[in-house]
Amino acid sequence: MTAERLLLFSAARQLFALNLQEVCEVMEPQQCYPFAGAPPHYQGLINFHGNLTALVDLAGYLRLQGRPVPGKILVIDTRLAHLALKVEAVGSILDASSITGASSHEDPLTEALLETPQGSVRLLRLEALLNGLEEELQECAPNNAKPGGS
Amino acid sequence: MDMSQYKALFLSESREYLRTIAEQVVALEQSPGERSAVDALFRGAHSLKGMAASMEYGDVVVVAHSMEDLMARVRDGAVPFIADVADLLLEGVDLIDVLLQDVEQERPSTLPTGDYAQRLAIYTPAPPKAPPAVPKAGSADHAEPQGPAATNAVPAPHSATSSAAADAAPPAAAEAEKAKEPAGEAGGTVRVKTELLDHLINLTGELVTNKQRLLTIAGELASPPLNDAISETAKLLRSLHDEVMKVRLMPFEAISDRFQRSVRSVAKKSGKEILFELTGREIGLDRGMLEQLVDPLNHILRNAVDHGIEESGERERAGKPARGTVCLAVTRDRDRIQITVRDDGRGMEPATMIAAAVAKGILTPEEGELLSPRQALMLSCIPGFSTAKEVTDLSGRGVGMDAVNAAIQKLGGTLGIESEPGVGTTITLRLPLTIAIIHALVVQVGQVKAAIPVNAVQRTVELSRRQIETMGKRQIFQLDGEAIPLLSLNRVLGLPLGRFPDGILPLFVTEARGRRVGIVVDRLLGQHELFVKQLGRPLSKLAGVAGGATLGDGEIVAILDLAGLL
Repeated sequence: MTAERLLLFSAARQLFALNLQEVCEVMEPQQCYPFAGAPPHYQGLINFHGNLTALVDLAGYLRLQGRPVPGKILVIDTRLAHLALKVEAVGSILDASSITGASSHEDPLTEALLETPQGSVRLLRLEALLNGLEEELQECAPNNAKPGGS
Repeated sequence: MDMSQYKALFLSESREYLRTIAEQVVALEQSPGERSAVDALFRGAHSLKGMAASMEYGDVVVVAHSMEDLMARVRDGAVPFIADVADLLLEGVDLIDVLLQDVEQERPSTLPTGDYAQRLAIYTPAPPKAPPAVPKAGSADHAEPQGPAATNAVPAPHSATSSAAADAAPPAAAEAEKAKEPAGEAGGTVRVKTELLDHLINLTGELVTNKQRLLTIAGELASPPLNDAISETAKLLRSLHDEVMKVRLMPFEAISDRFQRSVRSVAKKSGKEILFELTGREIGLDRGMLEQLVDPLNHILRNAVDHGIEESGERERAGKPARGTVCLAVTRDRDRIQITVRDDGRGMEPATMIAAAVAKGILTPEEGELLSPRQALMLSCIPGFSTAKEVTDLSGRGVGMDAVNAAIQKLGGTLGIESEPGVGTTITLRLPLTIAIIHALVVQVGQVKAAIPVNAVQRTVELSRRQIETMGKRQIFQLDGEAIPLLSLNRVLGLPLGRFPDGILPLFVTEARGRRVGIVVDRLLGQHELFVKQLGRPLSKLAGVAGGATLGDGEIVAILDLAGLL
């Protein structure tokens, strides 16, 4: 069911995991540049080795109350998306063999709720996350232009 | 022997042959006596068969072999090159195209070749002035593609049945050797993977961005030697950019066969006689742009045939030749490409366009009176606007030209329409040579910087508040005797509106929905040379954004797609 190795991280005081193969780099916060027309959890664009990458605050997207900490940036494999997730902290790499239990979760973004030595972890389904972000962008088309210059 | 390493080469070359065959078929239909085209068609099918045989793709061999046999009969004068023959050959092109897709996806054939080989083998043209044939029982399933001839068909000497693959597969090495003949490009050329070309342009773009950074730093340091070095680097970079762009160019003919076939198909369905002329097929366009031109051009051409060109009788009554002409011409002027589609059909009447727009509530009658003929014609690019009396399955659903216009604008190009009632219509697309590196106007809106391709900017204006007038609910200003409505880019993007304490509103003039509009921004920050990057998932779904770019100071800006925004 799960990948062999998972990357553990936290957002809004909750533990999450992604398949380690879906993450290509963990970065310190860096300069990002805002752009218009997207929901507020899009913090802007960052330059990741020449790829213009959208930085999304994961807690904000999940409608969770985040903490004002510098946090870390998880860059998703550039072959899958040009997306980076702002999270609060990045923990360890978890070997699948150390998972002691797994149960399903009603949230479509969550592939499974894992019991690990670190506690209960939500394993995120990256494809569902990407689909959700894309659907949200399609729904927030720009305001209709209205007359008036100022 | 593992042939998988040769598969990409096989697919690439086979598709080139298919394009050539499709082009030659349509060309031959218009000039059936062209011996060189007959020979080229024969050679194309033969080479395709040989390559497929060497790769052991039996279904492709069967289809190509049948086409080769049919062309051999045409070449020998046993069969005239008529529409039925063209249909059969084009059916073969489509069949092989699907088979190649299966090969590419490494899956079993999804489309059975069925009785194709047999139908070609027994094909005999209908004798001229023959009395109407009486269909034989059991032949109805073959009647449509073969026409009346099918009912009189007799087996041809070249029997191509299921054993054709075996017949057609002489020693593979020899066939493969023959297959190389028409390629004729070995001298000094080499095939390169497209990914490598993309990487090259990417690196060149990064260098352009870094040059801008160096310019910024040099400006701060005020060092003449550094300025000289950067100036020299900039020249070299320009040369490198030009050369890399040349490598990315592909001739227009890479997509042109589709247009010939599209025109042929619509003409056939609508029962019209069309002469299709194509010039400039050798002109090179950025390969990233070519694919994105297929749908817009197809739509324009189908419109021209379906709605532009009149029925033969109507044309003759108007003193025109019964056969209508549609011309697709590609020209290049330095770093601009111009594509025109011209027809000698009924043309468009500006007054009719305005009346339709007023009737649909798109314009008030007063606004309609203010439109120039050119602006009136551009009303056809407004979503949902259509003056077609009939909606057909070929075109004319009123959802086409707006999509065409949006697609062209997204490529950094513009669309223009000229028309003279009774004489014809010309649609002109003006496009940049490349979509990778563009010049853009950078603007500030709220806390955000954004870039607008200069192709979409007609001019910039700094407007005093007292120059703003109110017309109904709209705010406008006068420019060259024309009332230009004002829009706020901040408002469009959902950003706080600008204040303009000095009473001066910076704006740029662009064209939206066929009309000029003034787009007010907080500040105009100047023109920049930008390397356009695609934004990938998920931002590629964000409407109104065509990509992103890095400015000289490392700042990232979104490149706006005004057609998607306004």
